[in-house]
Amino acid sequence: MKKFIALMLAVLVLAGCMAGCAKKKETLTIYTWEGMFPQEVLDAFTKETGIEINYAVFDTDETMLAKLEAAKGGDYDLVIADDYIIEMAINEGLVQKLDKSKIKNIDSINPVYQKQFYDPTDEYTVPYGAGVQTIVYDPSKVTVDIKGYADLWDESLKDSIGIIANYRVINGMALKVLGKSYNTENAEEIEAAGAKLNELAPNIRLIKDDNLQDDLLSGEISAAVMYTSQVTMAKLENPDLKVVYPVEGIGFGIMGAFIPSKAPNADAAHKFIDYILDAKNSAACFEYLGYYCTTKTADELIADEYKDFLTLPADFDASKTEMIENVSAEISELHDKVFTEFKSLCE
Amino acid sequence: MKNRTKWPSVYLAVLMALMYLPILLVIIYSFNESKITSVWGGFSLRWYTELFRDRTMFEALLNSLFVGVVSCFLAALIGTFGAVGMSKVSFRSKGVIEYASQLPMMIPEIVLGMVFLTYFSLLRLPFGMITLIIAHTAFCIPYVYMEVKARLVGLDPSYVEAAKDLGASEIRAFFDIIFPLMLPAVASGVLLAFAMSFDDVIISVFVTGVDVNTLPIKVYSQVKTGVTPKINALCTLMFAITVIVIVIFNIIRRKNDVKTLENKDL
Amino acid sequence: MKKKKAAGNGAFKWFVMPIYLFTLFFVIGPLIYMVILSFLEREETWGVTNTFTFGNYLSIFDPIYLKTFAESLRLALISTVLVAFFGYVFGYFMAKLKPRMRKMMMMLLMIPFWTNSLIRLYGWIIIFRANGTLDSVLMAIGLIKEPLKLLYTYPAVVVGMIYALIPFMILSVYSSVEKMDWHLVEAARDLGATPAKAFWTVTFRLTLPGLLTGIILTFVPSMGLFFIADILGGNKVVLVGNLIQEQLMKVHNWPFAAALSVVLMLIMTVMIWAYRKIAKADELEARL
Repeated sequence: MKKFIALMLAVLVLAGCMAGCAKKKETLTIYTWEGMFPQEVLDAFTKETGIEINYAVFDTDETMLAKLEAAKGGDYDLVIADDYIIEMAINEGLVQKLDKSKIKNIDSINPVYQKQFYDPTDEYTVPYGAGVQTIVYDPSKVTVDIKGYADLWDESLKDSIGIIANYRVINGMALKVLGKSYNTENAEEIEAAGAKLNELAPNIRLIKDDNLQDDLLSGEISAAVMYTSQVTMAKLENPDLKVVYPVEGIGFGIMGAFIPSKAPNADAAHKFIDYILDAKNSAACFEYLGYYCTTKTADELIADEYKDFLTLPADFDASKTEMIENVSAEISELHDKVFTEFKSLCE
Repeated sequence: MKNRTKWPSVYLAVLMALMYLPILLVIIYSFNESKITSVWGGFSLRWYTELFRDRTMFEALLNSLFVGVVSCFLAALIGTFGAVGMSKVSFRSKGVIEYASQLPMMIPEIVLGMVFLTYFSLLRLPFGMITLIIAHTAFCIPYVYMEVKARLVGLDPSYVEAAKDLGASEIRAFFDIIFPLMLPAVASGVLLAFAMSFDDVIISVFVTGVDVNTLPIKVYSQVKTGVTPKINALCTLMFAITVIVIVIFNIIRRKNDVKTLENKDL
Repeated sequence: MKKKKAAGNGAFKWFVMPIYLFTLFFVIGPLIYMVILSFLEREETWGVTNTFTFGNYLSIFDPIYLKTFAESLRLALISTVLVAFFGYVFGYFMAKLKPRMRKMMMMLLMIPFWTNSLIRLYGWIIIFRANGTLDSVLMAIGLIKEPLKLLYTYPAVVVGMIYALIPFMILSVYSSVEKMDWHLVEAARDLGATPAKAFWTVTFRLTLPGLLTGIILTFVPSMGLFFIADILGGNKVVLVGNLIQEQLMKVHNWPFAAALSVVLMLIMTVMIWAYRKIAKADELEARL
């Protein structure tokens, strides 16, 4: 028995060592989703500055905030996450102000993506990619001419639509059809949207967030409401697909980069932000990522085949876009209830 | 038991084939040129080249293996000794502890992950390998425990009695008699536990630290940017390596076992 | 073994020490926290306040949430029954193979489960999708003319559940059939029992503990598994797992998620307890 205990201890010590004793060189810990940067861009940064990159990943924004909270704003040097969660992180005091004197390329940011609800004075964040939710459909399989969300209710689309699993986006779709705001705090409006949404249930074949484009391409569904990066992937694979910017308006989302309040190496984080705001690096990142490019100097460097995807079409009425912002606890609970009921009707 | 028909073999073979069918498709699609995981775009080694350029993927694989092996080892020790011991002791708290030790299986992973996160930071444990191993051990123990307990039930008590009649102590009887009889159950418990540990993402993502990614964490954190067939390529490689290891293992064992098997065969 | 007294604990108290300590520190500790959490009020945006409330438990009685519990139970029961049937037969036949084959089978059984589950589910998507593997095969042999559109339906979810859970059943049944004393079956046959009767009165009864373990190992995870329903069912089957996930990760209502988990845990405990009563598990174990 003593041997076993000794062995257990030895194993634990070994494990602890593997976790703790590895660091020597200057490192930058980036915390974001997998696959947010092309490997070449990361490698080039290390080559240029001598700073090793430690790439830590999370699956959802909420995991990130929970972990950041447990670390009390330490451990991680740079975080890239979605707008609404950044607002929460700032409110929790987990974000430090950027030292803009260290970011030479700060002016290359496209102002369209600045001064947003989560950081109205641009003190804490720089944007890293943006996205909208659009309708994409296969014209060879769809008989209606889809112009907006309302057309998805058409009976000819029975059991053939795929949608993403974000309830703010999907409930928002019904809100838009009814002419309301994504961010309404009016419970009656949301319930009305829920009732409207329930009528859509027979047309829904599939609700999921990951790889929705695959189902459109394989013919499992003929129309879909999806994120920008998925649209980019789908269009590159099948140029015949039609992308619709719904007439009712579009929900907008921005990913931002911020430095946690007690980042061990905030200096390196500033260097990295500056590095990815560089036009050439930025272009490489957005071609790889497939989200809207937030660096205006990069726009002209983006290869032609991607040009159509990396920004809203020029003729799109900018006043029709709306950021999806945080709503009160009560309202988000109502949203969830409405969405849960809708999902259970889809079967 | 001589009246063998071929139906059992057919049944086993069909079900086994069904279990391998999805894997077979994963292997085929790892050679798929297209980035789309379910559309065939022609043969290519593209994803293997990308895989080999990505060393973080292999680091993650090693981490997963390490966490899996260590947690299963700990779970096997704690679970086996626990199950055997519990059947012999008569503490009043026995029922509670036994029930509690099985709970990690009943609680949805997401909640367990969240609770572990808060609890570990309360204890000021540094997040990383240690917290990962503790959490994985917690949900691995029930599998070993249940399997061993099921095998203990109905174990012929006369074995132990006989050993004791021959003057062995209870402990001695355990190591000489019960322990070898428990091995198949420990093995099947560990196999299940390893599968659970090797595949766990939800708990891991909460309890891991800054510089330890496991393979499932790498896979699921791609959901935002799109899961690529690079993972198919990695699964194919892992699958191939597992098969090769097992084949070699069997060849070696067959050489050693030939004699004993001839005597034991039913 | 009949003289089970405190003194009889002897050296075995050292055996249970690790599981006592581990369970106390790393299971009961966190769980107490979870139960406390379920009685707290949420913070407006993120986190919890220190106010006591029963509200989280009362919210569960909303029809839409009750329906979710019922739906989860239904799927768990369907999956468990099917897994019990296919898995028992498999484990039984497997235990009757030659020893070397058995070991091979055991490894063969586990290898697929050592690869990533998300990727395996993608494998099933390829099989089930319109004009996929299954459709092609069925059309080639002339059984169907139109694609089945099986993907993102309830049957697809059930197949996925069986696939994910069957190893638990097979290994449990196998390890109890394997240790069975076949002489008892032969004795029954010698006494004139038909093969069916001998199986039912001897084999089945002796392997019941394995089946019991298997059923618990299947039923318990199947209540919490929602990934399969998401991926193969297109998110249209809403299970308690989904609900908890969304409450935690999207609505940020941790206390309600904790309350849902406590209730889920209680339901499972009651079901397992009732099941063990019916199966007379305690009598089986008392023979030890």
